[in-house]
Amino acid sequence: MHQVILTTRAARWEHRLDAVPPIAWLALQAAALWTHWRWAAARLADGSDDPLGLAALCVLLWAVARLAPDMRSKPRPAWLAAALGLSVAATASVFLSPPLMGAILAALALACGLRAFMPSDRACLPLAGLAVLALPLVSSLQFYAGYPLRVVTAQASTWVLQLIGMDASRAGASMQVDGRLIIVDAPCSGVQMVWMAYFCACAVAVVTQLSDRRFVRALPFVGLLVMVGNIVRNAVLVGLEATHANVSPANHQAIGLVVLALVCLSVVAVVRGERDARA
Amino acid sequence: MFFLRYPLRPLTHLGRVVLCIALSLLAAVLMLISPPSQADDSQALPAQSPYFAVDSADPSVDRLPLKSTSVDVRIAGVIADVTVTQHYRNEGQRPIDARYVFPGSTQAAVYAMSVRLGDRLLTAHIEEKQQARIQFDAARKQGKTTALLEQERPNVFQMNVANILPGDDVAVELRYTELLTPTDAQYGFVFPTVVGPRYNSPQGAAAQEKWIATPYLREGVAPSAGFELKVSLDSPLAVKDVVSSSHEIEVEGLGSRHAQVTLASDRSDRPHGNRDFILGYRLAGDRIESGLMLFRGERENFFLAMVEPPKAIATAQISPRDYIFVVDISGSMHGYPLETAKELLVHLIGGLRASDTFNVMLFSGSNRMLSPASVPATRANIDQALRTIAQMGGSGSTEIVPALKRIASLPKQPDVSRSVIVVTDGYVSVESEVFQLVRKNLNQSNVFAFGIGTSVNRHLIEGIARAGQGEAFVVTKPEQAAAQAERLRRMIDSPVLTQVKARFEGLDVYDVEPQQLPDVLGGRPVVLFGKWRGDATQPTQGKLIVEGRTAEGAYRSELSTGERETQTTSALRLLWARQRIATLSDQEALEGGQQQKAAITELGLRYSLLTQYTSFIAIDQVVRNSNPALTPTVDQPSPLPEGVSALAVGAEVPSTPEPAAWLALLVVMGIVVATVATQRRR
Repeated sequence: MHQVILTTRAARWEHRLDAVPPIAWLALQAAALWTHWRWAAARLADGSDDPLGLAALCVLLWAVARLAPDMRSKPRPAWLAAALGLSVAATASVFLSPPLMGAILAALALACGLRAFMPSDRACLPLAGLAVLALPLVSSLQFYAGYPLRVVTAQASTWVLQLIGMDASRAGASMQVDGRLIIVDAPCSGVQMVWMAYFCACAVAVVTQLSDRRFVRALPFVGLLVMVGNIVRNAVLVGLEATHANVSPANHQAIGLVVLALVCLSVVAVVRGERDARA
Repeated sequence: MFFLRYPLRPLTHLGRVVLCIALSLLAAVLMLISPPSQADDSQALPAQSPYFAVDSADPSVDRLPLKSTSVDVRIAGVIADVTVTQHYRNEGQRPIDARYVFPGSTQAAVYAMSVRLGDRLLTAHIEEKQQARIQFDAARKQGKTTALLEQERPNVFQMNVANILPGDDVAVELRYTELLTPTDAQYGFVFPTVVGPRYNSPQGAAAQEKWIATPYLREGVAPSAGFELKVSLDSPLAVKDVVSSSHEIEVEGLGSRHAQVTLASDRSDRPHGNRDFILGYRLAGDRIESGLMLFRGERENFFLAMVEPPKAIATAQISPRDYIFVVDISGSMHGYPLETAKELLVHLIGGLRASDTFNVMLFSGSNRMLSPASVPATRANIDQALRTIAQMGGSGSTEIVPALKRIASLPKQPDVSRSVIVVTDGYVSVESEVFQLVRKNLNQSNVFAFGIGTSVNRHLIEGIARAGQGEAFVVTKPEQAAAQAERLRRMIDSPVLTQVKARFEGLDVYDVEPQQLPDVLGGRPVVLFGKWRGDATQPTQGKLIVEGRTAEGAYRSELSTGERETQTTSALRLLWARQRIATLSDQEALEGGQQQKAAITELGLRYSLLTQYTSFIAIDQVVRNSNPALTPTVDQPSPLPEGVSALAVGAEVPSTPEPAAWLALLVVMGIVVATVATQRRR
């Protein structure tokens, strides 16, 4: 067995660099993007967003820890370049775009860095999804997508209630049902359900080791399930409110949780279905 | 350690060096430019809207510093002199600054303020408004007890008292005078006790006026401050029929020329301070105190003329009219006010003639007409309209300006007279826009305004009527609806006096207000204020001649000035100035902007009157609060006006929120964990 003896100072430094484990390189990249994480942490700490992202972060760290022993010693140059490019873009975005956009770019940069070191048979997109979901997304989603979701939910719920014979109409994101005004306001938009369903899809895809391609194929179904689930939840609650049934807050919660559970079980079924199709 | 246990693996040279350099650069750049972590909401303007008061989290702060209001009214002839004393007492452990928004009479000429702090009396002086605010802020920051009285509307004032120390009892006394003008020989005195919660339209000019963001107590919660009122009536004729439609009163000296009125304890435990105090009385023989009063001052002499109108005579020929009813069905009208309005509309619409046409607009945040165009007042159409109105419930905002714009755009037959009848509580902040709109766009119609409720915004109601050459009515309960509807009908059918002109003979008058006399629609005297010149040593001789047209032909009335000069009516100078300020304010509302600011400020400073551009300020010269920077400002909450529901401030509309985030996350995590478990079993 031959042993290379490093005689120059540069060569010794090079060897030390070579000896750094992939996980440490990823940690270094994450540290370089620290200001984005600090922003995200501040958003959680000041109460401007729900701390749901912590759950996604925990699952992501758990998945990365599981992957660490199998990481490649030689990163793929293409993905490394993508990680670098996105890191630069995330940095530039500090000047050019809102903080959330920069944080998303930073999360994607980290996902590309991870991809560079990951074994080729492992899926990366669910991990990228978890990295993005770990950010304080819900308030911004509510701001940009909340109103369209509310209008769509209100309109579809109106049709559902009309079908069962109720006098329902919609104006904006409000509904007039049997003479009673009920608003589909921000907390009713389904944005939280969107986050929950995609989080469920990402987590289950990681667990079931679904490929990137099949994961992407499952995503539209997840969106559809969320939309249908929120319309059903809204229609049931509006119908109960309109009949002047005294629906307690606990019952509101219970109905919402049951529908959410059904949606997430359906998401699991879709993801597993994709995996079984692969098999 | 994880990293130490992990086997070291080599990386390619190029990748490691490039990555290392790039990451170092990124970290350096991000370190330099690290953006603020908070979302930037500095551009977001806070909403200025009424809100419900919430209990303080800090028990050391007294959140209800106003302990009582006492009102002393002295009516001499047709002039009321009112002293209002507000007692502020800090029962907390920390010094406070208090802010209190309270109402006043629309005609009030506020001319004096003083502050009693322990055994010291501070007399306020009048200042230009911005200057007074600067002085107040400076004194507050220095820790001096100081009081500032500002006018937000002619009938809404804001009192600020800074640096009230624990245990302090600060009595702020303000004085105003007003002219009592009889209607159908009935004299009335109104003392409002609460400002109704105003809907502040985001598009309105007042959208950012801070006084509108006033806290209110919940529906049914009695006012925290006590309220006392006494009225002393002195008249040259015996006083009779002293009644209050709002409060239970005790009267002494009825039938004599000196009567005393005090509030009686209400049998039903109704608080006194959550509705207008309304007092009515008549003089012996149902006479009114008409005549010409002269006041000889040091530098200026003033007069007040009140001419009793002729009796209304029904005209034989009544031409058909088109009636447009504009009915407020906003949240503040929900409940009792809307029921009162419906009763009024039953009488107003129900009493139309078959030859008349009518239409009804219902407005809140939006508006809708009951018919595309006016319909004949047939029984079927009237019943249909009343049925629709009866089904209405009050909710939503009060977008009165778009509603009146739509009315102004309605096509009108040139040969048909149109009367627009606005029915509202007036809880809006866009008075100036409304007056401008009525004057500019509804000048082809007579506009009448009915204020509905126990604490109507009389500034809006009276202003609409003045701008629309109509008349203002206030209906506080359904029982008054029939009489007020009948009064309007009489007024429209038989105007008492038109083309009114006044001139003086033998008296050199100037600065006469109003410069153009409006038509007398019924029951009200013609009132003139002004100044006159005369030799101080000679008795004044002259006469006022009022001419016009009645249903029977030409009308002429003369009032002689002989033996009417008095030194006791110094209030005339204040009332004249107040009338001139009102005229200039009307002009300003018509023109928009602040065109009359200089003239109004000059009048306010010269006559020591509170105006929209002048304020009263009193400053104690003793520094009493050592830490004014940490002194909290307490907004004194007002009660909701009696009969007004919580919908006036805002009410909970049912919605369908998603479950709590942590519960939802538990469910989803449970499903994920269950999936992991089943995956492992497989």
